[in-house]
Amino acid sequence: MVVSPVLQVCDLQVSFMMQKRAYPVLRELSYNLLPGRILAVVGESGSGKTVHALSLLGLLPPAAHVSRGKILYRDTDLLTMPRARLRDVRGSKISMIFQDPSASLNPVLTVGEQLIETLRAHKPMSKQQAREEAVRLLEKVGIADAPARLSAYPFEFSGGMCQRVMIAMALALSPDILIADEPTTALDVTIQAQILHLIRELQQKEKMAVIFITHNLALASEIADEVLVLYGGLCMEQAPAKDLFEDPHHPYTKGLLASLVSMDRRVERLPAIAGQPPMAGEITKGCPFASRCPQAQEKCRQQLPPLTQQGIRMVRCFEEKTL
Amino acid sequence: MNAAIEIQHLYKTYSRGQWFGGGHETPVLKDVSLVLPANRVLGLVGESGCGKSTLCKVLLGIEKPTSGTVLVENQNVAKISKTQFKNLRRVMQVVYQDPYSSLDPRMTVRQLLSEPLDIHGLYPQKTARTKFLKELLSAVGLAPNYLERYPHEFSGGQRQRISIARALTLDPKILIADEPVSALDVSVQAQILNLLRDISRARKLAMLFVTHDFAVARFLCDDIAVMYQGRIVEKAPAQELFTHPLHPYTRMLLAAVPQVGKKMRGASTPAAACGPNTEGACSFASRCPQAGSACRQTQLQEITPQHWCACSHLPEGENK
Repeated sequence: MVVSPVLQVCDLQVSFMMQKRAYPVLRELSYNLLPGRILAVVGESGSGKTVHALSLLGLLPPAAHVSRGKILYRDTDLLTMPRARLRDVRGSKISMIFQDPSASLNPVLTVGEQLIETLRAHKPMSKQQAREEAVRLLEKVGIADAPARLSAYPFEFSGGMCQRVMIAMALALSPDILIADEPTTALDVTIQAQILHLIRELQQKEKMAVIFITHNLALASEIADEVLVLYGGLCMEQAPAKDLFEDPHHPYTKGLLASLVSMDRRVERLPAIAGQPPMAGEITKGCPFASRCPQAQEKCRQQLPPLTQQGIRMVRCFEEKTL
Repeated sequence: MNAAIEIQHLYKTYSRGQWFGGGHETPVLKDVSLVLPANRVLGLVGESGCGKSTLCKVLLGIEKPTSGTVLVENQNVAKISKTQFKNLRRVMQVVYQDPYSSLDPRMTVRQLLSEPLDIHGLYPQKTARTKFLKELLSAVGLAPNYLERYPHEFSGGQRQRISIARALTLDPKILIADEPVSALDVSVQAQILNLLRDISRARKLAMLFVTHDFAVARFLCDDIAVMYQGRIVEKAPAQELFTHPLHPYTRMLLAAVPQVGKKMRGASTPAAACGPNTEGACSFASRCPQAGSACRQTQLQEITPQHWCACSHLPEGENK
């Protein structure tokens, strides 16, 4: 059976305008997101991972714009959609949770008011109905004593609890797609584990597709079905999680995995990748990783390698073909 | 063994809110005793709010201890005079978490590195100083000609190298590193960890390495102390702690560390503290999968040689 993707991103390019010049921070990004799957987008700061997420919802800052490509949600292009329609999609079909939960909640409204507002903005329901629904949602994300917690303010919640509230809000209208932008980076590891479990559990229950954006490879390995590695605004490798982590093909993915500290044994030296990641919008002629790549040749510095299919994965490297 | 830092029964309580109504006291460090031996790396691991940064502040003399003693090179930090403390600072230096806010943006690298030298009147002669600073930059893996640049011209990893160089200007014996890699990109973290290891070995530094990340501690530390809500709940040599974690909190933390190739486990970890703890009980009791809420075991006991744990609910086969 062929499952049609809920989201298709085709040749997406996002640029920032600075002093009348366009600096592309994300280039040639294409992928299909299938319903009920978790796609992890992994990258360092400046790799374009957050800009990518914001572009999906039309939430890019004023200085940035999508300069090329299509974002198809069930065959309708989100980029050409009228703003009013987009507002409908945003929240009810595609919703998003952010890195810092305490900064994304309104500090002067109670948690209940914010949940009820979200519900009533999208669905015709009475205050009473919305209130009951809000209680149900808080219970779903594992908040004890939900009816009483509705009248609490965000500052009365811990970071992990705030993130649960954010998830409750994001799930309020049973979206098809949840975009989670570094949802656990601001949280402690034990809380992080709980939130991951919650996302995974709800995702399976609701058959949602999730785009999980993170800088943490280990997290991606634990949660994702499919992984896309971004570097310097370009997709370097995309593969099913298992294949990517067991047998990384791209030198960057290899280097990243090797430089992770292992918990099982103590090593004498970490095989670090030399050099620094490029700044956002810094465009080199060839492969953005060439200056740090142990296998780079003259060709890599002159010409951008295309993203090529290698079995079930996509890799952007000249080197791999010969293997 | 020679102790670089010795902390005995340290308590620190923050008081606030004296203006309206009664004062409010928050105990942050409770009965902390730790020894940092010379030439070793001690990892202090704990989650946010457990008091690990407060401990650093007390060591550096930024905060005064409420009670207990802190001996740095056998001098009591709270008792010595300002001049003595200034001299002590030559011995003990610090690297902070965020290399963006810990370097003054208006100073060049030369000025940043010269400041400690000026304060202590070292290398007053210009050519000798320049030579010294250039050597220092190469020691931390930066090009010597970066001296006249400003911090904004550098990336996060390079800035952290400058912070480390700055901490090394006075040739200290003790380095306190408060989460020095947690603000860095993954591909750069490994470089800085290697650098910290090389430097601590080459210069025979005693290092207190504060982190929330067990994986990082695993790489760098000789000994590890685990802190929870202001108490040390377990301490042991690193190898021993990773192979035989005893305290339920340590085991919970270790299980929560994400790892490549580890798929998500079935059962989720118990939710965070829900209710107040019984007076005098172990502060972990309300999250502990084994204890009742009135579990009172809070004293560290030596379970096996050098392995201290503040819990009587040991895993099977780990009895005294």
